[in-house]
Amino acid sequence: MTQKELHNPQLIKEANDRILRHFTRRHFLKESAMGMGALALGSFLTSCGSGASAAAAGAADVDFALAHPLAPKLPMFPGKAKRVIYLHMAGAPSQLELFDYKPDLMKLNGQDCPQSLLKGKRFAFIRGVPKMLGPQARFEQRGSSGAWISDNLPHLATVADEICFLKAVSTDQFNHAPAQLLVHTGTPRLGRPSIGAWTTYGLGTENQNLPGYVVLTSGGHFPDAGKSIWGSGFLPSVYQGVQCRSEGDPVLFIKNPDGMNRDLRKASIDAINNVNRQEYKEYNDPEIISRISQYELAYRMQISVPEVMNINDEPQYIHDMYGTKPNEACFANNVLLARKLVEKGVRFVQLFDWGWDDHGTDPDTAVDIGLVNKCRTIDKPVTALLLDLKQRGLLEETLVVWGGEFGRTPMMENRDGKQNPFKGRDHHVDAFTIWMAGGGIKKGYSYGETDEIGYSGVSGKVNAFDIQATILNQLGFDHTKFTYEFQGRPCRLTDVSGTVIDDIIA
Amino acid sequence: MGKKKVLLLTISLVLIAVLVIYSTINHPVDYITQVKPILNKNCITCHGGVKRLSNFSLLFRSEALAKNKSGKPAIIPGDPDHSEMIRRLTLKDPEERMPYKHDPLSTSDIDILRRWIKQGAKWGDHWAYVAVEPVEVPKPKPHFFGLIPASPLSWAKNDIDYFVYAKLKEEKLQPSPEADKAILLRRVSFDLTGLPPDPSLAKQYLDNPDDQHYEKLVDSLLASPHFGERWTSMWLDLARYADTRGYEKDGDRWYIWKYRDWVIRAFNQDKPYNDFITEQIAGDLIPHHTDAQMIATGFHRNTMTNDEGGTDNEEFRTAAVLDRVNTTWQGIMGTTFACVQCHSHPYDPFKHDEYYKFMAFFNDSRDEDTYGDYPILRQFSTEDSLKLLKVCDWLKKNEPEQQAADERRFLKTWQMSINSTRADQMVNSALADTKFLTFRENASARFQQVNLDQKNRLVYRYNARIPDGVWTIHLDSLHGAVLQTIPIKPIKKKSDWAIVYTDFPPVQGTHDLYMTYSNPRLKGKLSDGVQFEWFHFTQRFPETGTKENKEIEKMYWELVNADVTGPPVMMDNPPSMHRNTYVFERGNWLVKGEKVQADVPHSLNPFPKNAPRNRLGLAMWITDKKNPLTARTMVNRLWEQLFGTGLVETLEDMGTQGAVPTHKDLLDHLAYQFMYDDGWSVKKLLKEMVMSATYRQDSKVSREMLVKDPYNKWLERGSRVRLSAEEIRDQALSLSGLISNKMFGPSVMPWQPAGIWHSPYNSDTWDKSKGEDQYRRAVYTFLKRTAPYPSMITFDGVSREVCTSRRILSNTPLQALVTMDDSVYQEASRFLAYRMLQESADKENPVDVINKGYEIAMLKPISKSKMEVLKHLYDTAYQQYKNDPDKTRDIAGLEKMHDNPETAAWVVVAGALLNLDEVITKN
Repeated sequence: MTQKELHNPQLIKEANDRILRHFTRRHFLKESAMGMGALALGSFLTSCGSGASAAAAGAADVDFALAHPLAPKLPMFPGKAKRVIYLHMAGAPSQLELFDYKPDLMKLNGQDCPQSLLKGKRFAFIRGVPKMLGPQARFEQRGSSGAWISDNLPHLATVADEICFLKAVSTDQFNHAPAQLLVHTGTPRLGRPSIGAWTTYGLGTENQNLPGYVVLTSGGHFPDAGKSIWGSGFLPSVYQGVQCRSEGDPVLFIKNPDGMNRDLRKASIDAINNVNRQEYKEYNDPEIISRISQYELAYRMQISVPEVMNINDEPQYIHDMYGTKPNEACFANNVLLARKLVEKGVRFVQLFDWGWDDHGTDPDTAVDIGLVNKCRTIDKPVTALLLDLKQRGLLEETLVVWGGEFGRTPMMENRDGKQNPFKGRDHHVDAFTIWMAGGGIKKGYSYGETDEIGYSGVSGKVNAFDIQATILNQLGFDHTKFTYEFQGRPCRLTDVSGTVIDDIIA
Repeated sequence: MGKKKVLLLTISLVLIAVLVIYSTINHPVDYITQVKPILNKNCITCHGGVKRLSNFSLLFRSEALAKNKSGKPAIIPGDPDHSEMIRRLTLKDPEERMPYKHDPLSTSDIDILRRWIKQGAKWGDHWAYVAVEPVEVPKPKPHFFGLIPASPLSWAKNDIDYFVYAKLKEEKLQPSPEADKAILLRRVSFDLTGLPPDPSLAKQYLDNPDDQHYEKLVDSLLASPHFGERWTSMWLDLARYADTRGYEKDGDRWYIWKYRDWVIRAFNQDKPYNDFITEQIAGDLIPHHTDAQMIATGFHRNTMTNDEGGTDNEEFRTAAVLDRVNTTWQGIMGTTFACVQCHSHPYDPFKHDEYYKFMAFFNDSRDEDTYGDYPILRQFSTEDSLKLLKVCDWLKKNEPEQQAADERRFLKTWQMSINSTRADQMVNSALADTKFLTFRENASARFQQVNLDQKNRLVYRYNARIPDGVWTIHLDSLHGAVLQTIPIKPIKKKSDWAIVYTDFPPVQGTHDLYMTYSNPRLKGKLSDGVQFEWFHFTQRFPETGTKENKEIEKMYWELVNADVTGPPVMMDNPPSMHRNTYVFERGNWLVKGEKVQADVPHSLNPFPKNAPRNRLGLAMWITDKKNPLTARTMVNRLWEQLFGTGLVETLEDMGTQGAVPTHKDLLDHLAYQFMYDDGWSVKKLLKEMVMSATYRQDSKVSREMLVKDPYNKWLERGSRVRLSAEEIRDQALSLSGLISNKMFGPSVMPWQPAGIWHSPYNSDTWDKSKGEDQYRRAVYTFLKRTAPYPSMITFDGVSREVCTSRRILSNTPLQALVTMDDSVYQEASRFLAYRMLQESADKENPVDVINKGYEIAMLKPISKSKMEVLKHLYDTAYQQYKNDPDKTRDIAGLEKMHDNPETAAWVVVAGALLNLDEVITKN
């Protein structure tokens, strides 16, 4: 097979489809194609990844596909990014105190919000006429790119030239749960696959001893939309995110029970698989082969997961760089884990950090107090992540995305018509900032602009669908053609919307 | 090649071509099987429900034959040569040729379309949209005009088998022999009750594995109380049942388990499926309905509500109503209707406005995304229930009938009330937490269109701390006539709410009510004076002047204020609170289009004559025997549960884009029998299925057959499917003897790892249940939507946010980790080991113990080679524990009788047994 043929999207799609056809048993997978294509499948797949060599010839492709739903697959076209780290700040951080510098807003500080900004708008908590609230942080232009970054993020400021800012992102959901779902699953309602599930469905994963899609949470709570936000929706459940935990077992039930050592576990699995093989001889059910391989994988995961989830082996300078806190469930530790996971070949790592909902109802949610403290917990680790990925040569192929589910209002929140006790901002759908780095995205670049007070985008406006389309594009997928048949129609992550943001692609 | 040969070849080719054309030319073209697939595949994306490029659509015949943008019709029936459609399909210029920018249609496809137009371009109805008709059972027929009698099909046990056999014959396949008795016993037991068989029942059958005893076994399983529990697990996926409300806070939905219990009882009583559906859709509208029928309407109150701060209540009320529409179609009628929300259906005959006409049936219900989940059916204590009876009896005697009924409803549901979320034009007032109307100093708010006919009393639920507040209600404007001025009494305890009343002089008609509030004691403009939850306009309590009257009234107010809640139920608005329904342009609820009235799609059976245009009428339409979808959907669903795959694989979609039925005649036959012969009895239908020879087949398959029919589409063998999430848990508890047979009641919280629940703004915790509640069947496990029970999700259980028609089974390493390491399975292994030792003939003899263990799980003796493997495992484990008392105690348990290396090793073996493929599979 020539290089050109290898990247023939049609060929690749057919091969990948065929695996899933046998795997998912979905209705569109009607006929079992057992022709020449199937014969070629085994070698084709083993050529592009590890761990996929077993039982991969001829009529055995049924077995193969059942046993390896996460085997590495080629995308539609060569993508610049091979993996993604998505850092979601749940609660939605204020762009006006971090990246979107609006000196003119300061001039309006304390004045009544003009009616023109309120007319026909719906807010979560603002009622009546709120006051304008100027930026509550000092800003400076950073690096040779001159990106505006506030003093809240002094470390990140030093790597401004690695980052591409999207300054005019908008959404149409002003409540947390629906807005988070929109960002990650392409719909504000529950029940559709998350972008990580789509990614592992499309690309499989590079390390068969680890889950392909890992989720890490911090901040004391799950994101508002709960576990659905890393669910597999209508895709097979094997593609859902696996939550790795810093409390208890790193993956649920990964630890052998007390009194059961590793040798005995091995002996047990050997016995189980031996009996299962006898069962297979009798019944020829390919599911049995699959189960045998899943038990083997479970055994390998029992070693590899605790290993990769243990950050204690990292050298001290790395700990210092990330600002980790030993034995604590914190964002910094999760960021270091994210690097370890992508280094080991995990395809999609999703971090959720809860606690960015700065309404100003108490000091912890004040944009000049709580937000500042929250920034301190992410500034060092996020900066370290970019530098560390870079020094390991991983940044070029790893797409890092940072953002919340919406923005914050240039007005000070007046919950139920009363002035809040602290300086806070309400949920805002019209403009917020998301940034990306690595993965073939332009460095030191800023795309899109908001008006003088940061209320709406005036140029380079993008939404969740555009960002999803761009992420998929970097991974090698045309988001309009990357579909899964469900309820009688080919469904896609971006539904019927989305445009790749060509301007930010390096 | 010589000229002669060329000539000969040409002649023969021409001859063949002529023959082919001749044989097909007069053959009538079938729209559904021949034409529609071509149109769906090649044309409808641009010329259908979504896009109608050049104003040409192929969805309905009237549209296809109408004039399009060019001013001419594209199809002229009878005249393919002048039909623009055929011309455009056959052009050479790629700019003009259709399908645009795609490969041209094959000549044979064009030929079909040409002949179809020639024959009049007749339309046809998709099979699933045509009423079920009786089907002839394809029994062998006598030959030679009846001279040679039909040979009876010895394999067949009932009619199902004739249908299956006919297909097998077409596919040149043979049925498989009957499965081994132990396998069949286990299969049918799991299928009907979700559990392994009870030992005595098992013995009865295994001792006499003949047809007669098989039927006895089936009858016993159908009569088991566990039957209802098993089928409820299935139904709850459709009903999207959960114990919490969903979204961010995901708080508890109190008492919704009453609905779950209703479903269990309904299955156990074999409630006819038409009644089963009617009560769930419209139990509240059935004349003289019972409380149970009210609880049944919880089906559509399982929709999520959003208590997140700052949410728009109307948005999430609307989302719930849309969900009811989609669930009704997907779950009960096997049709994907959600696409019609945004545009006419791209493939199926449903128009955009028909979605909203259908929605109108659900859009007039009383629920409004309130914190209290109103309306609820309040669950009184026994003592209070007696009081309730007394009060209602008295009211019946002393009030007009309607008024007494209204009072009774108010006591039981606090309805009909106006939720404070309906307030608008708020000044110095707000919806606290977006749900409770709060007044501050000099506050005002409006309630639109309140009907005051025959009302003279206002009952309201409120909360106030500070005395001297004055609340005034004006009619029609802020300074309009005063209906009443009410001093607000403070309530002592902070968390308490009270329900009190105020009387006012009667005013007729419908009015906008403007409420104002002021209180000189309030400190500053911004401190809260009073909060309201709802307002109930009614009539004064009857006055007879007797002592009894006084007592009854006192009881009445005690009941009104009783601190009880209950499951959410459906209830419709009274005419005075009617809610209009509009088309949402492109599915956007904020862009309202034309106003519509409740109706059903015209392409299906007509709305029954004399049926009311409400949910009850809708239920009558759904369960009408002429409804083509309801019975077929249920038959298909039950079939899928038993055989692993439906007769139409896409349970959620029997439309033109769904899977083609493998055995359409069989589906129709069973659907017909279900409705007309068996009175919608689910148990009879299931019995018919499990009694068939088709069901009883062995599941062994040769490699060759596996290639030929990998998914057993033609049913030439028995099905072999992994057990469901519920069954895997229930089996482990059952085999180990830990299981509790306790039925019904609040959901339970068995052990789960720490850190699963972390919802923001919600302090609910997972409080481990006590005693036998640890070991209840999985159907009773508390289900929190945003953080479901981990092992259930790992085994493909669903989080019940939306209606799920079928679980797609996966096979992952995380499943292995659950059954090997989850404490539940550890405990089950331990108790299974104890049981193996206790029940084996000689517990000193490992062979005996292994045999017993295997027999407990598989109901048959173990093979020699499997025995050797497990014996080896026992020996290995024994060697490990022999010299390690600490590990021994960890694994075998603390009790002295178990704390020995032998038992420890048996726990390891028992654990392996619970992980065997054959054990977690229904074979």
